[in-house]
Amino acid sequence: MASRRLFLAGMAGALAAPSIARASGSMTAAIYPGTWDEAYREIVAPLLRQRHNVSVAFDPLFAVDQVAKVRAARGVAPFDCFVLDPGPAAAARQANLFEAIDARMITNAGKLPEGMVSADSVTVNAQVVGICYNPKKFPEPPKSWADLFRSPYVERLGLTGFQTTFGTVSLIEMAKAFGGSITNIEPIFAKLREALPKVAAVSAPAALPGLFQQGQIDIMYTNTNNAATLKGRGVDIAFVAPSEGAITFNTTLHIVRGSGNRANAHRYIDVAISAEAQSRLQLSPFNMIPVNKDVQLSPNLDIKSLDELSKMVTHDWNVINPRRAAWIDRFNREITK
Amino acid sequence: MKVASRRRVLGAATLSNSIQTSTSQQLLLNNIVHSYGSARAVDNVTLEVKAGELVALLGPSGCGKTTLLRIVAGFIRQASGQVVIGDRAVDDLPPNLREVGIVFQNYALFPHMTVAENIAYGLVARRASKAEQRARVAEMLSIVRMQGFADRKPRQLSGGQQQRIALARALAVQPRILLLDEPFAALDKNLRLDMQIEIKRLQRQFGLTAILVTHDQEEAMSIADRIAVMNGGRIEQLGTPVAIYDEPATPFVNSFIGSSNILEGIIADGGVRLAVGATLPCKTQHLPQGKPVQVSIRPEQLMLVREAAPDRFPVTLTLSLPIGGQLIHDVAAANGTTLKIATARHPGDTSSLPGIWHCALTPEAKPSIFPLSTP
Amino acid sequence: MRRAAVDWRLAAPLGIVYLALFAAPLLLLLGISLHADQDLQQWGLDNWTKFWGDAFYRGVVWDTLRLGVAAVLATSLFAWPLAVFFCNASPRTQKILLFIILLPLLTSVVIRTFAWIVILAREGLVNQVVLALGLSATPLRLLQTETGLILALMQIEMPLMLLPLISVMRGLDPNLLDASRALGAGMWRSFFRVILPLSLPGWIAGATLVFASACTAFISQSVIGGARLVYLPSLIWQQAMVVYDWPFAAVCSVTLLLTVLAGIMMLNWLGRYARTD
Repeated sequence: MASRRLFLAGMAGALAAPSIARASGSMTAAIYPGTWDEAYREIVAPLLRQRHNVSVAFDPLFAVDQVAKVRAARGVAPFDCFVLDPGPAAAARQANLFEAIDARMITNAGKLPEGMVSADSVTVNAQVVGICYNPKKFPEPPKSWADLFRSPYVERLGLTGFQTTFGTVSLIEMAKAFGGSITNIEPIFAKLREALPKVAAVSAPAALPGLFQQGQIDIMYTNTNNAATLKGRGVDIAFVAPSEGAITFNTTLHIVRGSGNRANAHRYIDVAISAEAQSRLQLSPFNMIPVNKDVQLSPNLDIKSLDELSKMVTHDWNVINPRRAAWIDRFNREITK
Repeated sequence: MKVASRRRVLGAATLSNSIQTSTSQQLLLNNIVHSYGSARAVDNVTLEVKAGELVALLGPSGCGKTTLLRIVAGFIRQASGQVVIGDRAVDDLPPNLREVGIVFQNYALFPHMTVAENIAYGLVARRASKAEQRARVAEMLSIVRMQGFADRKPRQLSGGQQQRIALARALAVQPRILLLDEPFAALDKNLRLDMQIEIKRLQRQFGLTAILVTHDQEEAMSIADRIAVMNGGRIEQLGTPVAIYDEPATPFVNSFIGSSNILEGIIADGGVRLAVGATLPCKTQHLPQGKPVQVSIRPEQLMLVREAAPDRFPVTLTLSLPIGGQLIHDVAAANGTTLKIATARHPGDTSSLPGIWHCALTPEAKPSIFPLSTP
Repeated sequence: MRRAAVDWRLAAPLGIVYLALFAAPLLLLLGISLHADQDLQQWGLDNWTKFWGDAFYRGVVWDTLRLGVAAVLATSLFAWPLAVFFCNASPRTQKILLFIILLPLLTSVVIRTFAWIVILAREGLVNQVVLALGLSATPLRLLQTETGLILALMQIEMPLMLLPLISVMRGLDPNLLDASRALGAGMWRSFFRVILPLSLPGWIAGATLVFASACTAFISQSVIGGARLVYLPSLIWQQAMVVYDWPFAAVCSVTLLLTVLAGIMMLNWLGRYARTD
């Protein structure tokens, strides 16, 4: 039975994935399209070549696409390194898609806070999720998750669902604000039903920044990267942590099971977390919150020190993942006109 | 006017008993001018077509005859001048209110409609009742002798049949003027003659006022009451077919109508002294002595005789072809000028004898004389 | 017989490519849709019954069909007058018009779609005009509505409707229109009785393209329509790429394929009544 599944998946994978030629001294890393792609091509790739004479090719893929591609490839790694948010990372771990990480090969491991280097992952970036608003329209920003559902904020709110990591964790926190929990998000659905006729937009996550820039919405929940990127384009936008606390989650790098370039993949990860790379990645227009303790935080970030991260709200994705499909389906049904 | 015209169409009178012509069917074109860009297509044309008359606009392509037709129909708005139908200028009326019927070279039948629907099209547009439509369609089909074809589609008909239906469609609404745009050009030769007779018959029978646009002089000669020969946007000559043929006003008309032999000469002694060596006694139109001229003589106005005379010139007979009831002789004069001579052929007579012949005018010949502009 | 053999061999390269790159993946898709579980271990129609047994998903199919029909109607409404105008324009004007018509095809779908956000947004072009003219006291809601989506699709899909329509209408005998006018029909009657029926083959070709393209316009649907308008393409993306439920995504995909095919077959069926000769 398993062979049929592998056959179907393998066929699909073979049709989808172009084969990647590997010369010695080279490797392939999956990367998020957009900002991440630009940032890593501009900063990490030249450093890697300079320090280790390794050239890296990037395969721009969203987290779910990376996991899908590796699963479909039947153990023939289509690329050497994942970059993943916690949800897909937990799913990939369950599917046994990671190689072990040899901490001795990560020279910068000691520069990272406790727990950011594990047996199969290295944190490369922290993301902080909270409320973004237009300070010109709202001198008084919403103070809590619950505020988002009150007038005058709700009328200018842009809603997004459980498709993204930041959307999922924000909605969980809102559920908590109305008496729910990570296993009981019923309260947020009740609030959504109530708010739907009033909100400014319900949108695909990728469209949110555009809608904000065009003034279709003035309030959204998103990560600080998005906020800083918009601010860099001259959009009136400010970030505020809700009184319940901002949310944080880590973006991690992993080595793909079956990778033929494990040594180079370790080098790539090591360069990505080096102080030099991290201090440049935090600058505009990339605005990535660094994790290397040697890095002096830039003022364009909405946090003052890495210690703040440890006080923020985090989530267990092993709890979220099995429930997420049902949440997405539920969200579809609730919001559809 | 619109209301009145409807009543006329919808009235009890059928086509067959509305034979008398009236002044509402006459057409007057006053100083029509039209240009495409810098090219003047119609250059100050004035033309009167009487009720019940068929006038042919004859000329080579590009002479402006089609443009003039489209101006009458209202498809083109002339730059200046006036189109008067009946007693009213129609320049401000769109085509659908001009009550002008038109038959196109390519028939332009609506391919998605049956024959009956095509014929009824104008009646439907005039909101005739279903019963009237049926009656009129049947009447028109019988007039063009196409009964039994009502439910065919145009593509199931031959070219001649399509043209009959196009004619029936145009006539069904009793237009005041019928415009025929090269209606025979797409038909083969035998069919063409049948259709010419058919159109002439209908035009006579119902007293239709019609304009025929054509480049075929035989066609114009055979069915037009009058012919307007057009060239370069102007009417070169307007007259009956016989007058145009016998007395062409300009060298252009002369060359365009029929075939003719052109001989050069000068005015002398009350006639024309030809370069080929004879003096023709003919009307000199008050041209001065010594004026160089061209003389145009139709082939049937020449004959071959054995005897020499001052008004005859010697020719060599090279070939005689029997064409129908005529013999066409190809002859050459002493200076190399070739001429064609047509004579009646007697039964059994296939060719003329070789030898020295002299070329002479027939007694009824009327050569045309055109002065040459002196260089 | 020999000639037939030659013909077959000429078609073989394309046929093999077609089989490998089109038919095989489709069969694969169908195979995946016939599995009961996400790990593709068990055969079963469970996902089909889940999809069709649920009013929500049936509603999504219905909405997708409706969107396609609406896009066809909207493009037709503007394409016919434009095509008539085009065919009567001078060659020079035709060249300029053709460029304008083709313009949407020359820009990326993403750029076109985001341009529509700028136009339709609360502070966008349309609302600025509406507010300035005092037609409404508050900004109109255009973005994230079906109306806004249809408006944007109309512009984006217009070339697909116009080009076949124009090519058929240019082939029509101009004398037909003249004949109709001379017979006493005004412009409207001439259009509805002569031009419209005779240009139906072009319209059917255009409508087929617009319908198929509008039903599957994932980017426009999700960006302009927003998350509250759920159509089959966004459902497929969600199920395949977020929820990772391949069999269910395959059911959605096959359903979308069948939906579009049904629309195309309807149009073809209509085409049999549009035989113009």
